[in-house]
Amino acid sequence: MSETSTTAAKGIPKEIERFDVIFRIQHVVMFTTFLLLSFTGWGLKYAQAPAGVSSWWIRVWGGAETAGIIHRVAGVTMLLDFIWHVIYLFYLFATKRMTINLKTTIIPLPKDIFDVIQNFLYFFGLSKQKARFGKFSYAQKFDYWAVFWGMFIIGFSGFALAFPMLVSHIVPSFTTAWIWELLSIMHSDEALLAIVFILFWHFYNEHLKPENFPMSWLWITGKISTEKLKHHHPIEYELLFPDEKKSRKD
Amino acid sequence: MTYKKVIYCVLPLLVLALLLPVAASAQESASCLACHSSMKGRIKTTGGNLIELNVDSEQFQASVHGALACTDCHMKFTDNPHSSPEASVPQDVLSLSSKISKKYPVDPVAAAACGKCHGEIYQKVLKSVHGRNITEKHQTDGALCVDCHGSPHYILPVKNPASKVSREQQVETCGRCHGDKQIIEKYKLEENVMDSFKESFHGRKLHLGHTKVPVCASCHNSHDIRSKNDPNSPVFGNNRLQTCGKCHKGANEKFIPAITHKRPGPIPHYTEKALIFLVLGVFTFIISHVLLEAFSDIRDAIFRKGGHE
Repeated sequence: MSETSTTAAKGIPKEIERFDVIFRIQHVVMFTTFLLLSFTGWGLKYAQAPAGVSSWWIRVWGGAETAGIIHRVAGVTMLLDFIWHVIYLFYLFATKRMTINLKTTIIPLPKDIFDVIQNFLYFFGLSKQKARFGKFSYAQKFDYWAVFWGMFIIGFSGFALAFPMLVSHIVPSFTTAWIWELLSIMHSDEALLAIVFILFWHFYNEHLKPENFPMSWLWITGKISTEKLKHHHPIEYELLFPDEKKSRKD
Repeated sequence: MTYKKVIYCVLPLLVLALLLPVAASAQESASCLACHSSMKGRIKTTGGNLIELNVDSEQFQASVHGALACTDCHMKFTDNPHSSPEASVPQDVLSLSSKISKKYPVDPVAAAACGKCHGEIYQKVLKSVHGRNITEKHQTDGALCVDCHGSPHYILPVKNPASKVSREQQVETCGRCHGDKQIIEKYKLEENVMDSFKESFHGRKLHLGHTKVPVCASCHNSHDIRSKNDPNSPVFGNNRLQTCGKCHKGANEKFIPAITHKRPGPIPHYTEKALIFLVLGVFTFIISHVLLEAFSDIRDAIFRKGGHE
């Protein structure tokens, strides 16, 4: 986390940088490949769909051969994007540009469970307070770690299915009777989960929600207004501008 | 100049000469088709077998056999109509016809006559598990030429998508027996072949119009088909190294179990159940969260002045 525009002498800038340019590029690569993979993979998963819809849909993507190439290229690109992200995180930690702080970390904490409960109480009218978040709300943490889960389950199985000969060398002999079936089940079922997740969770929270509709431009600018920060991430706001908090209380 | 003139004279004659046998056989067929193309329905023979009487002359002539004369195969019927001097049938055809007469009681000679032109292939079929089922086990299910290729009157080139053995139709054609519960039980065949193929990457891609993905015969061979338990079968044991290797370069012993017609074992089965459980769990959480949040936002917008902090 780093602050930009330090122009304001009093220490309260208009906006702060939430995601640096590397994270933003990684996000763009991630969602572009995700869409390509979903579109082409859906046709294969439901190949036998009635009335030949899937055959039609795959023809839109240039036919079965071309769709297969798109799927593989996008898949490898996504894996590389993921690896890049992990390496970049290591780099940030190694150079102390990123440190773990319980109020700004994306690592799930017990607090997130309480936040979920708090919000459900609020939804049902049993509490007057919504949960207060640090840099990342539980919804955002869920969004983020879902990708990790997806990369391990779908990414690894997808790699094995795309390069079976290569992977067969590291597959233990006793597993060969079921491993291939298992890999395709994992790939296909978890891909469905990922699509459903993005479609409902990510799309509602980041696009459909009235305050974000049609989308937050944060994915391009990387910046969040301090006003929004105060509203959505009060704990982070108080961490960044402790004086402001004090002066407000006075 | 004279050279050219000669060409002008000879060329039409050559073309005519080429057409002559066709024309002759066509003429012969024409006299059979005169009746059979307009006859409809079936007739019962004295032996109690039903015979389809109709031969669609247009379809017949468009088929790969369109240039043949009826009597090329229906050798018994050299005379019109239907006198049967059996002596004119070659000995080899006659002896084969007696072997398959249980399956083709009406005109076994015609069914045996395929071998006259397709001799080598017919021999392969007779030695195959399909052929031996008829000649040795004396069954009538299958499979000989017509069972897979359809009526010999309407056979199309294998590249034609309408052909019963084309890439597009082959799976369905094999499935007429290999997806038939009674036949599967009778011969103790692998019971899940059709569904497992449909579910496999091969089957899905075939359905989507992939042009290189394998169909039944690509792995199991066609005319010289063998039981999967036959050590010479292309899908027996390590023979698959070569069979899979036709497309998957470097196929090894750990790769070849990937494609099987057996039902998934317990590990993939229960993993799938667990994953479905996970999908439903996550789905329940996110849907209820999204809906409740939306409702509470609406509620706040209407009933609460300030909303939360």
